[in-house]
Amino acid sequence: MTATPESPTPKSAPQPAPAAETRPVRSAVVIGGNRIPFARAHGAYAGASNQDMLTAALDGLVARFGLQDERIGEVAAGAVLKHSRDFNLTREAVLGSALSPETPVYDLQQACATGLETVIGLANKIKLGQIDSAIAGGVDSTSDAPIAVSEGLRSVLLELGRARSPKQKLAALARLRPKDLAPEAPSTAEPRTGLSMGEHQALTTAAWKITREAQDELALASHANLAAAYGRGFFDDLITPYRGLVKDGNLRPDTSLEKLAKLQPVFGKTLGEEATMTAGNSTPLTDGASAVLLGSEDFARRNDLPMLARVVDAEAAAVDFVHGKEGLLMAPAYAVPRLLERNGLRLSDFDFVEIHEAFAGTVLCHLAAWESEEFCRNKLGLDSPLGSVDRARLNVTGSSLAAGHPFAATGGRIVATVAKLLHEQAAAEGRRGRGLVSVCAAGGQGVAAILEAC
Amino acid sequence: MAAAQDSYLKLLSNPLARELAGRLKLPRPAVLRRYRPGDPLLPGPVLVLGAGDSAGTLASALLDWGLDVRRHATPGERIGGIVAVLDDVAEPGDLAAPALALGACLRQLAPGGRIVTVSRPAAASAGAAAAPAAAAARQGVDGLLRSVARELRAGATGNGILLDDGVDATAPGVLGALRFLLSGRSAYVDGQFLLVGPGTGTVPADPDRPVAGRAAVVTGAARGIGAAIAEVLRRDGALVTVVDVPAAGEQLAAVANRIGATALQLDITRPEAGARILEHAAGRHGRLDIVVHNAGITRDKLLANMDADRWNAVLEVNLAAQLRMNEAFLASDLLGPAPRIVCLASTSGIAGNRGQTNYAASKAGVIGMVRASAPVLAGRGGAINAVAPGFIETDMTARMPPAAREAARRLLPSLQQGGLPVDVAEAVAFLASDAADGINGQTLRVCGQSLVGA
Amino acid sequence: MNAHPEAGPASRREEVRLPELPSVSRLLVHAATTAARERLSGTSRPAALPAVRHTVDSVRVELERLTRFQHLVGGTVRDSLPSAFLHTVTFPVAMSVLTRADFPLPLPGLVQLANHVRQYRAVHFAEPLTLSAWVENLRGHYAGTRLDVRTEVLADGEAVWQGTSEYLAKGVFRPGLDTGARPAREDFTPPAPTARWRLGVDAGREYAMVSGDFNPIHLSTVSARLLGMKRSIAHGMYLASRVLAGIEAVAGDEHEWNIRFAAPVYLPAALALRIEDESRNEHWVASSFTAWGEHSRRLHFSGSVRTL
Repeated sequence: MTATPESPTPKSAPQPAPAAETRPVRSAVVIGGNRIPFARAHGAYAGASNQDMLTAALDGLVARFGLQDERIGEVAAGAVLKHSRDFNLTREAVLGSALSPETPVYDLQQACATGLETVIGLANKIKLGQIDSAIAGGVDSTSDAPIAVSEGLRSVLLELGRARSPKQKLAALARLRPKDLAPEAPSTAEPRTGLSMGEHQALTTAAWKITREAQDELALASHANLAAAYGRGFFDDLITPYRGLVKDGNLRPDTSLEKLAKLQPVFGKTLGEEATMTAGNSTPLTDGASAVLLGSEDFARRNDLPMLARVVDAEAAAVDFVHGKEGLLMAPAYAVPRLLERNGLRLSDFDFVEIHEAFAGTVLCHLAAWESEEFCRNKLGLDSPLGSVDRARLNVTGSSLAAGHPFAATGGRIVATVAKLLHEQAAAEGRRGRGLVSVCAAGGQGVAAILEAC
Repeated sequence: MAAAQDSYLKLLSNPLARELAGRLKLPRPAVLRRYRPGDPLLPGPVLVLGAGDSAGTLASALLDWGLDVRRHATPGERIGGIVAVLDDVAEPGDLAAPALALGACLRQLAPGGRIVTVSRPAAASAGAAAAPAAAAARQGVDGLLRSVARELRAGATGNGILLDDGVDATAPGVLGALRFLLSGRSAYVDGQFLLVGPGTGTVPADPDRPVAGRAAVVTGAARGIGAAIAEVLRRDGALVTVVDVPAAGEQLAAVANRIGATALQLDITRPEAGARILEHAAGRHGRLDIVVHNAGITRDKLLANMDADRWNAVLEVNLAAQLRMNEAFLASDLLGPAPRIVCLASTSGIAGNRGQTNYAASKAGVIGMVRASAPVLAGRGGAINAVAPGFIETDMTARMPPAAREAARRLLPSLQQGGLPVDVAEAVAFLASDAADGINGQTLRVCGQSLVGA
Repeated sequence: MNAHPEAGPASRREEVRLPELPSVSRLLVHAATTAARERLSGTSRPAALPAVRHTVDSVRVELERLTRFQHLVGGTVRDSLPSAFLHTVTFPVAMSVLTRADFPLPLPGLVQLANHVRQYRAVHFAEPLTLSAWVENLRGHYAGTRLDVRTEVLADGEAVWQGTSEYLAKGVFRPGLDTGARPAREDFTPPAPTARWRLGVDAGREYAMVSGDFNPIHLSTVSARLLGMKRSIAHGMYLASRVLAGIEAVAGDEHEWNIRFAAPVYLPAALALRIEDESRNEHWVASSFTAWGEHSRRLHFSGSVRTL
């Protein structure tokens, strides 16, 4: 850190750590975050790779906190749609960034929960005293997505590689058919069901009888909240522009219920029931990257860095969606109650609730489940409903419906946002608020975390 | 430090082209002697002219710097700089001897040499006016210096130091100004006077790192002159925060990461801009010592075609925002013990410029603001000054019509070329340091002695 | 289909030992030439099913074909044989019975109506297997004549797998067999789906390559049209295999399954499916499945898997 130009070393050396078995668990704090604006697929970032975007997000974070040539304890990030050449994606991004090339790195992938899981994993390492500082992040591009060759071509190519004689090579090539040359684009369909995420959610949305109007209202609130947050400069120290894009490309500040109501449904059209999910109340395919700076309190103090919020606890859950026992994106409905139970908290104990808006229906199904006596009794084993989320505390600066959702980048966006919200509130009201973060993920997974203002 | 290309100047580095230009009587601008850390202060011995006591004491002071000091010119010897001490002229007749002595050794001045006069102002900033004959002689120095500066060739410059009442020739501020004017830092400062008043007597511990450990903020630092200022301040030891509008965040981050600064994305016209800057600087560095108000915009239009939006935008960014931020800074405990503010004015604000009524009004306003704020800053042990750049090769001037740009480069300044952003930055960095002790409320032109507003 | 197979051969069947696993394509050619010769000579087929049991000993599974099968149907590549794969292993033996000169029904045009399989234990791919097949239960159908093809897999002298396939010879009516009335078409309202399959135009040929069942109605549009189909159709055992691949992780090694085909799946196709699990004391006991045309909403097949 360049806190003092006279010497590249920190102002005071960190205390020598005690042996691992006697080391007390300490706090891990969110120092700040950075992301590039999220772009609609095949838009502003069409030519940028995951590595390019992650590097940009890291460089913006480095610039914001003066981390040039700093050796960070560990950086972890990931992407959901990943090229095989990106096997060491995060390491390559760090090597291309202004961080010290001696910064160790690992890649992580937990579908849409990737970003949140990097925060949790690194915060745990900080808590255990294994590292002092960390950067968690994620990136995804649907514009620069990997395109695979067909199984036929792949098998021919592999056999060609194994073939020794020209005759064997010719035999391998002879197996090639014209249709094998057509590439295969990645799909968001669940491998075990063949249903896309939207179709899965359409089933759950219908099962919970969530109306089109309720979904459109949530989408409208997301756009209005995000636009208002931009208006008050909230994102000035959370976003660094990239490739000429200054704000999230998906934001429609002028949208209205009337405009949203005109959109045709895109998911659930073959369900036999009225389809309610449109492009307006579903997240679009998006490109973007985010990064969150974490550290011990000691690290933050030594380097004169702000402490926004503590990473308190986290919980992951998974549901059996394969044969429809539970909805694909319902895992957070299980993760959150378990997390609250362990921490002795109720939904009403949170000042900010951030539920990733994969689809408006996803958020509304979670809320409905927690309010449902039947669900809470039969599925969660609770005596009474978990409770309601005050809508005034839900996604107060907008969420994925407005900002977009570059899968692995969403966790970092939310964590940095809620940490800053908590910090702002603490500064204004002088009290330590709590924030709840919940992210659903492909494969029937979900991750939730609690943050608390410093 | 990127600047728009002066391709003519580049061409003249070819000897053949240079010869051709000479035969065609085209101007042959010199490559200016600019500061590089480690270079000698002057390209040869320094000659101190003057019969009075001050000349003697000043010569000893220069000896203490390790300079090769001459009291009389050695025929045929190349001279690096000439300091003409004229603080004792009492009537016009006193000018003859030093003027002729100066003239006699002009041809010995090395390329990139320096002439600095040390004299007293015709009218001191306070106290009784000088007698008419003394005032005439003192004012005569003005014409003498400005004219001799126009006779100089090969990148040599001439500037003057004016000693206010009670300030003697070896006051720390005088020595600081003298060092600046003799050095390569003042490469594009030509034909100018610096008034040195009573200061606090502090001098930088290390003249090569005059702002070491100071917390500095530079607005409009994403590119051009602002980026150059940030870089020079960082080179000189400051802890730099670079500020620019969120939309310029990508370039801003690149500047921060290149020079080792922290980036703050902020629209300075926001009401809370001053507080945000204070919070950021104090958070990272404990306080705020140096503010450089560099951010500025142009919205050129003939007054006959001017609309309110263009007028207001320019006045708001270039002047009103600075006033508001200064108010916030001066009201805060987080401002350091000897705060230094440097504002960017413009020669347009001095001489006027067709099509720039709004810009010139804002920049003239800056000059007035600086003059009026000086006592307040002096009361806190600090200072506020302005730098008025002339034609500087930047992205902004690169957009001028080619003919106007050539005229501005070749015909108007004595140095026959445009300045570079670093030239402005050096002047700003000087005024931001304790080397400028006693200089307060002044506007220093960095214009290569342009005719504009001369 | 309620005909539960009993272990062991009926004593009155003649045991026919085949020296090796017959080639299905050779059998198919043979069957076609026999049928042509019959048309020319006007000879007619016997009225009863042959009382034989064809058996091949010491059959070993080709590992590469097993791998391709597991990949094709979306299963995990394991060392134990999927119960649907064992059906393809026994298929040549069954074909050798169906192509006998004394088999009473013409092979071309035989349509599969249903399958029932029991598997008693996991079978490792390296185990030498004894495969048997016979036919029984010739009976009428409103659209023709039905019969059951029975197959059995033995390992170490013990029956590990048994299968019954119900076939229909469409348009072939035999005296003395009660055809019965065409049952009223049942209304089908699709439930909420749990999955979707997109079947490419090549789905039939791809399955033929790994199953060895080169019935022309699956191979291509052209070959299917020669047999009176408007387009090629998905192989019934392919559909069953895909469903089973999705359930094999929970179903364990000892299970039985059945599938009944209601309408052919013309390729290419988009099928919607509902697979519903049934548990007792938190343990899986059964899954039922239904598949229909995503757009036509017409029932294609249904069935269930159940623990033994």
